[in-house]
Amino acid sequence: MNVLIIEDEEALAHELEIFLTNHNYITEICYTGRSASEKIATNLYDFILIDLGLPDYEGLDLLKEAKKNNPDAACLILTARAEVYDRVRGLDLGADDYLPKPFSLLELQSRMQAILRRKFGLKQNIVELGDFLVNLTDRVITCHEDAVNTITKKEFDLIAYLILHKNRTLTRTQLSEHIWGSIINDDYDSNYIDAHIKNIRKKLNVYAPPDWLETVRGLGYKIKINA
Amino acid sequence: MKLKTKLTLFNAISKLVIVVLFVLLVPALIKNISHSYVDNNLIKQKNKLLQIVKTQGIKNYIPDGEKDGSYYLPLKEEYLTIEEDTIPNHFIDTIKNEKRRVERDTIEYRILSHTFTLNNQHYLLEIGKSVATLDETSTPLQNIALAVLIGMILLTILADVVYTNHVLKPLGLIIKTKLIGRKFPNFGLYREVKTSTSDFQYLDISIHKMTEAIEAAFQKEREFISNASHELMTPISILQSKIENMFEREDIVDEFKVRLLEMQKILNRLKSITKTLLLISQIENEQFLKEDKISIKELLQEVYDEISVRLPEKNLTFDIYVPEDTVLVNVNKFLIFNLFFNLVNNAIKYNNEDGEIIIAAEKDNNTLVVNITDTGIGISPEEIPFIFNRFKKFRQSMQQDSFGLGLPIVKSIADFHNIIMEVHSEKNVGSNFRLIFPTDLIA
Repeated sequence: MNVLIIEDEEALAHELEIFLTNHNYITEICYTGRSASEKIATNLYDFILIDLGLPDYEGLDLLKEAKKNNPDAACLILTARAEVYDRVRGLDLGADDYLPKPFSLLELQSRMQAILRRKFGLKQNIVELGDFLVNLTDRVITCHEDAVNTITKKEFDLIAYLILHKNRTLTRTQLSEHIWGSIINDDYDSNYIDAHIKNIRKKLNVYAPPDWLETVRGLGYKIKINA
Repeated sequence: MKLKTKLTLFNAISKLVIVVLFVLLVPALIKNISHSYVDNNLIKQKNKLLQIVKTQGIKNYIPDGEKDGSYYLPLKEEYLTIEEDTIPNHFIDTIKNEKRRVERDTIEYRILSHTFTLNNQHYLLEIGKSVATLDETSTPLQNIALAVLIGMILLTILADVVYTNHVLKPLGLIIKTKLIGRKFPNFGLYREVKTSTSDFQYLDISIHKMTEAIEAAFQKEREFISNASHELMTPISILQSKIENMFEREDIVDEFKVRLLEMQKILNRLKSITKTLLLISQIENEQFLKEDKISIKELLQEVYDEISVRLPEKNLTFDIYVPEDTVLVNVNKFLIFNLFFNLVNNAIKYNNEDGEIIIAAEKDNNTLVVNITDTGIGISPEEIPFIFNRFKKFRQSMQQDSFGLGLPIVKSIADFHNIIMEVHSEKNVGSNFRLIFPTDLIA
């Protein structure tokens, strides 16, 4: 997977590169709109991450160019601009997703995966976890043919996020940012993730012990899947 | 009251008062005029009579052998008497009202009395005109005057109304197009109001200049928010990515991971505050559309789904009593959701063990009233006026992880939608937040 990172903030571009390389993407970085415009015109990418706030280029123009020259590429807009209408305009112009800064790298990865599934994944995305089968496409969990229907939407979101970032410890902050990120409220520390995990365990335990859902002491939670 | 109405009313009333005064004065005036006219007449008659007496002698009036002579018109409205005056050294020459008995009637007359001497004989002359005949003329005159004046007044009032309407038209136009229904900060284009009245021209141009200034300020503020958010969000974003990348490295010992996690938490706090402040500024700058249509019951259910995980910790009960068919229109769903989320979140945060939260909605006179009531620690009366101030925290003793922006968000969202918010609370009993949705938000 080839990713073009268009980001004038070098430190951020660098972190994006490290993260995506670790996750087996091949990355290229452009710090200016002009060089990005050239790259878009000559190379083909699977993903183009566009920062809208470039000093030398109108980010939405780059999006138009990308749609023209790289029609198969998925375009993600990353922006720190607080303009509400930017989002609407960006999506209208054909962006596949829109991620406001500051965002979690995990969230970026999750959005990229979602785009891939939308583009190519007609096949059912089913993950085996101990005695459970988690169908990420239809959002259902089964245990030996029995459907586990006590799990709420929020709880499923948590499980799916942990599965997506399997074998990695996710902190409470990262998890709560994922499931409550769009809500603006004045709690900055959500220990309610613990309550959610407790509920998930209790509900699943009725069918079989969910040993794969691990608590990493002092750090967070992780779902362990052996290759 | 409108200026036009006031002016018309004043004109009409002032004219009516003047006319009524005039009509009331008419009898006195007429009396005065007719008296002087009559007096003049009497004097003329006297002079003529004296002339006749002088040239032709007294015989014409006092037949020989008689001491006096009296002459009446058939209806006794006028009379004339001459008699020999027996009182010595009696000289009078007056005109006054007096009563005289004529045959069987007592009639009031305007009487001229005059003494004169002829051939060494003293005579007293009286000429009288009945007062009743004088008054008879005054009533019809009064009526005519009243009718004519009322007609004239109606005409002038009509003229006044037409003219004030014409003159005040630009003012109405200025109010209608420049002030009423103007949505800040979207002012639209300036269109000059045509008028020859310089005051209105001045008013129009002043309003235009002021709106321009406000618009510029809004624009500046918007740019500031946009820039400030960019400047703040970018470094936060970089830090967040760095921490996340470090956290993932396998060669980092757990002790450092815990410290990274603490950094992440603190960064998250900074991020929340920044995002919240920006949201408030964006709401205050009207950067949100109000085009959504939502069922309030479904919305509250969504809030419940998000937040229900927080209820068991204190064993709280949560009840929603909302009519099924209540639909809000012309709102921003994201904002209304956040409004309820924050109110319910507070109701949870400041509640007591085994407490209660009740959301009840009911229609009241075309408005929708939603009450959010909790059985929590309450707010003391002296604190209530300040609970919507940013970063104001009263309940610090609770050691809650919040930064005092929950209610300011609620307030700015409510103001943005013209929702009236009332707070009733009693210390250690609970709080009640009452939201009154205006008619135009209800489907």
